[in-house]
Amino acid sequence: MKRKFSRRQVIKTGAILGVSTVFSPPILSFAQGETPIRVGMHDPLTGTYAAEGESEVRGAKMALAEINAKGGLLGRKLDLVIEDDAANAGLAAQKAHKLIEQDKCSLLMGAVSSATALSVNQVAHDQKTLYMVTGGHTDPVTGSQCHWTTFRICTTTYMLAAGLASTLYKKFGGKWYFITPDYAYGHTLQAAYSKLLKDMGGTELGNSLAPLGSTDYSSYLIKAQQAKPDVLILLVDGQDLVNCMKQAAQFGLTKKFAIGGGLTELEVLKALPKEAKLGWWTVEWWWDQPNTPHVKEWVASYQKAYTDGSYPSARTWFGYAGLHSLGLGVTKAKSIESAKVAKALEGLVLPPEIALQPNKVYFRAKDHQLMSSEFPGEILSDGVYPNLFKVSEIVPGDKIALTEEQAGCKLDYAT
Amino acid sequence: MELLLFNSFNGLIQGVFYALMALGLALILSLNSVINMAHGGFLVIGAYLAYSLSGYLGFWGALVAAPVLTGIIGLFAERALIRPLYKRSDPLYSLLLTFGLALIIEDMTRTIWGAQGLPLEIPDVLNSPVSADYFFITGFRVLIMAITAASAIGLYLALRYTLIGIRIRAGIRDLETVSALGVNIYKLRALNFGFGCIFAGLAGVLAAGVLGLTPPMGNSLIMPSFVAIIVGGVGSLFGALIGGLLIGLAAGITTTYYPAASEAVIYLMMLLVLVIRPRGLFGEEGLFE
Repeated sequence: MKRKFSRRQVIKTGAILGVSTVFSPPILSFAQGETPIRVGMHDPLTGTYAAEGESEVRGAKMALAEINAKGGLLGRKLDLVIEDDAANAGLAAQKAHKLIEQDKCSLLMGAVSSATALSVNQVAHDQKTLYMVTGGHTDPVTGSQCHWTTFRICTTTYMLAAGLASTLYKKFGGKWYFITPDYAYGHTLQAAYSKLLKDMGGTELGNSLAPLGSTDYSSYLIKAQQAKPDVLILLVDGQDLVNCMKQAAQFGLTKKFAIGGGLTELEVLKALPKEAKLGWWTVEWWWDQPNTPHVKEWVASYQKAYTDGSYPSARTWFGYAGLHSLGLGVTKAKSIESAKVAKALEGLVLPPEIALQPNKVYFRAKDHQLMSSEFPGEILSDGVYPNLFKVSEIVPGDKIALTEEQAGCKLDYAT
Repeated sequence: MELLLFNSFNGLIQGVFYALMALGLALILSLNSVINMAHGGFLVIGAYLAYSLSGYLGFWGALVAAPVLTGIIGLFAERALIRPLYKRSDPLYSLLLTFGLALIIEDMTRTIWGAQGLPLEIPDVLNSPVSADYFFITGFRVLIMAITAASAIGLYLALRYTLIGIRIRAGIRDLETVSALGVNIYKLRALNFGFGCIFAGLAGVLAAGVLGLTPPMGNSLIMPSFVAIIVGGVGSLFGALIGGLLIGLAAGITTTYYPAASEAVIYLMMLLVLVIRPRGLFGEEGLFE
């Protein structure tokens, strides 16, 4: 008998699977100017956060087109170099090095996963390159691990929790069970909820940690069911949230307990089947703000650029506001030197056509966190895209954020 | 104690799904000698086809049509890509090729259906628990178990009693002799690859009922099925089945006591099996022995 394959080779495939996510080609957009200003952007274009990553890239490209249509920055074209980080911290750090050293990017932006935001936060600081975090929420980015080089558009995990916690407590009661993604974002978000819950006098019945990218949530849901909570809090996000919600609905748990969570997003809502469309969540920006100037025009301009029938999400706004903020900083500093741009951005208020929300939106000087709003509300169970969420209020960021002192950030300018 | 019972049972159900994936993988591995890295890709094709077809055929129609179409796509892939590689005895070539194919399928799915997740709606009958106490046994999971059982039994009967099945079994033992006896082994291998892809497509439709559809959804599902094959024994279809159930059960039991290790435990099992019984529990002797 001819031996056709060996067990060893079967095992080798496992190793190959492991490294399989590492390779993917960069997407380059070429500018026409002689010496364009380059901004490097890292975002997940593959993996569990691919849809969110694509939205951020779309937003940034809108800002790019607007800036270049007005003659670029400091008379130079603006150029955006985009790299896929696959929501992997190590890969993101590697891509950040490439963007700075090989592509000669003067400024960085990006991140959906908090883990990548933290790793690039470190690289950017080592390389003294300004880094605009678009969508990694974990507190330490503008808290205990903050650096003078890092600014952040999206809200902190604490703000996400604070925007919704009291509503959930008052409406449904104080016994909560958590399912938390097992990485930086989940840990800090859960800690924030835990603290807020304790302060209100509630009880935490349990917390299941689920690895990022889990497909099967049944064992966590079994534990949650045994705990019999008032509210089941699902802190997983992206595709993980879709999977978790779908399974919770099939187990009938969504009929037994109130469901609440941290963050939800248009990308997630779109992927939810009808039985899983429910619960209380927070979005960080919403396309339907009838009373806020410029929002309608912006949605129209998005749909002119992207004709696939989609609507802009909070992620699109992160990318858009992120690149525009860098542009405003460069213009104000009259320089692309990171140190000068950083100083210019501190305290900078976003103009209404970029803020696209009713409250005052500005970068706090002491921790570089953008004070943007939370939009808590309820998923519409009979909603049809894009009317999938009912915003109950728009909470100003500086009302719910930890103070600069509590956030624990000490900016390290000495360079 | 109740929790242990629930989790073990739950793990077994999860294992059934791994077994279904592993079955297709093992089938292709035994006769085609291809470590089919694109199996997860075919799963994704099956899932997305079901999504598109369910608009016209309903869920049940899609459940039948999508796997069959996946099998046909598999036939084309085999003819165009895999067949030229049979001459090379080193399976590394087909491994690399199917690995590339997996990436291509993932990106094509993203191009055709988009990076954003899509929901496959399943009938309400399947969408709720069968009993209030055992709430984790949903109608859909019963369907998964029934289909896997039917597939395994059907495959067993087909391999035992049909001409093609007998030739496939003979081919797994000794392909050269089968060829010398006048059987067209190219056709045989093509058919076998197609069957394997039908299993992948079926697993895809079933996965889509529990998970949202995304282009990379196959990646996280394929690893446990590779582990199932190694634990169960390379070359044995029965082993693939048992391997799938065992790792599901192990993950379920571990969840009760130490949830953080529930992912790692299947690899630990693989390690143990490789150390103690390197050919796997039912390794390499042939089919259904």
